[in-house]
Amino acid sequence: MLRREFFKTLGVVAAATAVVPSMSFAAGAAPKGPNEMSYEAALKAVTNGKGATPSDKVSLKVPEIAENGAVVPVTVEVDSPMTEKDYVKTIHVFATKNNNSRCAAVHLTPANGKAMFSSRIKLGQTQDVAAIVEMSDGSFLSAAQSVKVTIGGCG
Amino acid sequence: MKLSTKTALLLTLVCSLSFASEQFAMSDADRAMYAEMLENNPAEMDIEVGGELFEEYCNGEAGLAKFLGVSESKLPEYIAGFPRYVEKLKMVAGLDQVMQAIMKENGHEPLKLKSGDMFGMLAYAKSLANDVPINIDVNANKHMKEAYALGKEVFETKRGGRGLACLSCHNSAVEGGILRTQPLPNLGKNNAGGTWPAYRMTKSSLRTLQRRFQGCMNNALLAVIPIGSPEMNALEVYVTDMSKGSAIAIPGLKR
Amino acid sequence: MAKIKSLIKIKPKKYSDGEVVQMSLMVMHPMETGLRKDKKTGEIIPADYINSVKFEYNGKVVTTMNVWESISTNPVFSTYLKIDGAGELKVTFTENTGEVHEKSTKIKPKG
Repeated sequence: MLRREFFKTLGVVAAATAVVPSMSFAAGAAPKGPNEMSYEAALKAVTNGKGATPSDKVSLKVPEIAENGAVVPVTVEVDSPMTEKDYVKTIHVFATKNNNSRCAAVHLTPANGKAMFSSRIKLGQTQDVAAIVEMSDGSFLSAAQSVKVTIGGCG
Repeated sequence: MKLSTKTALLLTLVCSLSFASEQFAMSDADRAMYAEMLENNPAEMDIEVGGELFEEYCNGEAGLAKFLGVSESKLPEYIAGFPRYVEKLKMVAGLDQVMQAIMKENGHEPLKLKSGDMFGMLAYAKSLANDVPINIDVNANKHMKEAYALGKEVFETKRGGRGLACLSCHNSAVEGGILRTQPLPNLGKNNAGGTWPAYRMTKSSLRTLQRRFQGCMNNALLAVIPIGSPEMNALEVYVTDMSKGSAIAIPGLKR
Repeated sequence: MAKIKSLIKIKPKKYSDGEVVQMSLMVMHPMETGLRKDKKTGEIIPADYINSVKFEYNGKVVTTMNVWESISTNPVFSTYLKIDGAGELKVTFTENTGEVHEKSTKIKPKG
């Protein structure tokens, strides 16, 4: 039995509201903000409609379960020599179900030495996080992983 | 009604404990990822600001050492023994209250204990003892003995509409279990005494141990005890003693 | 221009020429999405977020980042930098409101 149902059957719904922590952002609530863009639209725009090929060269590190949807660590590393001839041009990070799916577009140069981007993102709900990487030869590689966002804990 | 509500909540607690551990337990890899985030802890910025204020209002480490009557070289070890009985204040006090007294001596209006700037100063002052093991001595004198006893009482006394105490969730019978997707840690092993003040991701800000106690009391429907009160300082003494011997690592990072 | 607290971190702290280090910018910033309501007034809090970050090393742009409101409050932006001589690392970040902020640090390889 789910906890919520359990509460209801026992008629202590009022008590339940007290233990639901407020999320600091409302997923799916109107208005959707000026930057609203779906993942499909963003992917199309970024890759000029070409799409991206899943690749082992792209390592996407996100937790399977987020401790807190407001702070989800994300790291993208790309296996690349980062030379003038062969380097990673851009690392895109998408939260596929956020109102604005775009999180970051990181433009690198050979002067980075290694290709990596790391930050923390907000996820409004359980969803896939995707990394789309543009290589200097114009090809697009990708990696994605699902992150489960839970609302829980005591405050 | 009251009895049935309590029974219901108790059952709910047990229910969610078992359900959650099966479905939502985070993996060790996930935890490692969060641990890595400590290396770029946003609270470092609060501590930088706190350090500047500490310099301005308290004359820095020299000012703190002078007030406490210890040499600057011994200061980190001394800080690792807080909260402690401070003769000048005639009470078991936190570092924040010591800094308030110094500010007063220096002719500054003392910062409020609950202000963000004071949290930053407290975190900075405690971080001076980073890597030093907690050496709180709850038998040092009668004041500390009394504070420890009072702290234990606060920790164990059931209060509020649900009849909950700190001990209700933080006891050996449920520790290691998972409540509402979060593991219930052993406060001692989890080094609560050495990792607060910490950046709280849920609040996107630097929080102190006593502020966390308040949040916990509030959510568990207990009347909230003021920061810096004898009961709150006593509770901090009691909980800090659980982590005695663990190294101080400020700022921590908490959910 | 409102002053915003920020911090540049280089990891490891000691490095030599040719080494690849991690450079991070941390900023005290609410990263408001424009979707959140003020709990007291019920009014929408206007969007206020960092939308670009530029890392320049001795006058040369190494990395630019376009970022959006999905980045967490008090953000951290990290990438690598190949150390190529002593000098300055300058980070410029811009808010959606158009305000531009700057922070810099010295790069001092040992040996």
